[in-house]
Amino acid sequence: MSWRLALALVAGVALLVPFVVPQYSLTVIVSALIFSLFAMSLDLMVGYCRLYSFGHAAAYGLGAYCAALILTHLQVPLVIGIALAVLVTVAIAVPIAWICTRSTGVSFAMLTLAFAQLGYAMLFRFRELTGGSDGVVGIPRPPGPFGIDWFQGKTGYYYLVLACLLGSYLACRAIMRSNFGAVLAGIRENEAKTLSLGYNTRAYKTATVVLSYGVGGLAGALYAGFAGYASPELFFWLTSGHVLIMVVVGGAGTLVGPMLGALFFVFLEHQLSQVTDLWPLIFGSIFIAFVMFFPGGILGLLRRRHAAA
Amino acid sequence: MNFASFILAQCLGALSQAAVLFFIACGLTLIFGIMRIVNFAHGAIFMLGAYVGCTAAALSGSFVAALIVAPLAVGAIGMAFERVFLRPLYGRRDSGAHLLLTFGLAVVLSELVRIVWGAQPKSLATPEALLGIVMILEQPFPIYRLFLIGLGLAAGIALWQFLERTRAGLLIRAVSQNSEMVHALGTDVDLVRTAVFGFGCAMAALGGVLAAPLVTAFLGMGANVVIDAFVIVIIGGMGSFLGSIIGSVLVGFVQVFGAYYFQDLALALMYLLMLIVLVARPGGLLGKEE
Repeated sequence: MSWRLALALVAGVALLVPFVVPQYSLTVIVSALIFSLFAMSLDLMVGYCRLYSFGHAAAYGLGAYCAALILTHLQVPLVIGIALAVLVTVAIAVPIAWICTRSTGVSFAMLTLAFAQLGYAMLFRFRELTGGSDGVVGIPRPPGPFGIDWFQGKTGYYYLVLACLLGSYLACRAIMRSNFGAVLAGIRENEAKTLSLGYNTRAYKTATVVLSYGVGGLAGALYAGFAGYASPELFFWLTSGHVLIMVVVGGAGTLVGPMLGALFFVFLEHQLSQVTDLWPLIFGSIFIAFVMFFPGGILGLLRRRHAAA
Repeated sequence: MNFASFILAQCLGALSQAAVLFFIACGLTLIFGIMRIVNFAHGAIFMLGAYVGCTAAALSGSFVAALIVAPLAVGAIGMAFERVFLRPLYGRRDSGAHLLLTFGLAVVLSELVRIVWGAQPKSLATPEALLGIVMILEQPFPIYRLFLIGLGLAAGIALWQFLERTRAGLLIRAVSQNSEMVHALGTDVDLVRTAVFGFGCAMAALGGVLAAPLVTAFLGMGANVVIDAFVIVIIGGMGSFLGSIIGSVLVGFVQVFGAYYFQDLALALMYLLMLIVLVARPGGLLGKEE
């Protein structure tokens, strides 16, 4: 099956979803799609640069808190608020990315972790603005511009998230298949050689990290608009760890894999948490099994089966 | 209130905090030195140590028993971990695999602790002999915290002498410098790795038991403390033993004085310190840049 056909099929099914599933299921589906977007954004670093960020919660938290504050205080329309939040996240990400990309491997993981935890700590420092441990609650979804009020209801919001997810996926895929992506592949395989060919590898890595933060910030902003609140847990390092699990279990370096991983875990959590409180144990065990035995992730497994058949 | 005596009490408080942190950080840095693994499960191991200690003390009625049983039991669990989960990944080209695996172990271990001990915090009574306070320059100071400082100091010196003076210590330093060469010279490097991993876990468990009378054993204790330990190890230099001592003291002081003078900024100060060190010296104060 060709990629175009598969994409058209998935998009077609996704468009019909709100008509066939009950409203309460739509909540889980929208959360799953937002997490898919978040996981995909992390894959840009993990899969394409082998930069294991343990602080991607910073992108999610920044996007969510920026959107929360902009929507609450400025009363701009929802979509403009989200766009502004992404811009602010990108602006903050540039210096962070520049500093973090001076290292690789474990040091990179620790630096990103430090920035995310610093953000987490700042939430408690600027309590009057961020609400401290209570977070920001009652985030509105102002309509507009031009009187557009499509995103007020859950179904409309679903389409907004779907559009962001598809758009981001297509954009990231195009970037990773361009010359830019080819240089990243060169860095991944042999950074010294790529550098000696005249590419400023650090600039490429910085750009990728900023892109990753931008898309992650979009996911966070969409979450804040959907949930109506932003809490400090969004910034905490366990969020970074969980999304990393989704990327690896889904299959890093494929964009689609991490999305599948996120969908898999969100739905699994939703189902399991109704019958057992042991789901984090299952979550962790599945993750360990994938790291040890199936480093290609879910997508790798599917492809292997496809190749064998 | 006399300012000098107040500062002294604060300093002692910071040192006792540093002592507990040191027990976690020294294992973390040794494990990193030998295996190049950042053990995300170290916080969960610390928590496990605290819970095992509480149970051991409850069963035997003795704090000393807890101090002995918890490190031994948790050290053995650590060695089993290394043997079963980490060893198969040593040949993996992708260095991220270990980072991910230990994170998975942290999640699973925390859940197992919750299943076995339940969600309620477990308290561990301070032993009779260490109860009460002493007056230092007319400032009251808990004896238990003095005990922590003494124990931390003793452990630091003992470990340092062990690493510098004994043959096993030499082996550990050699493996952390060039494991392939040590292997070629006929030493079972895998055995050294298992032993060091187990030892690191035992030290963390000891830290857990020592922290339990101060904060009780609770489910979130690992997730917070592991980040503190990371900060220490990164500030001191990954794999550097002396660095972990310096880092522990620095972080202990930043935490205690930060909490007093800056309140809301206390949490952020620690990360700021870490970022400043990393930007100035990417390998940490005493570490090598990779």
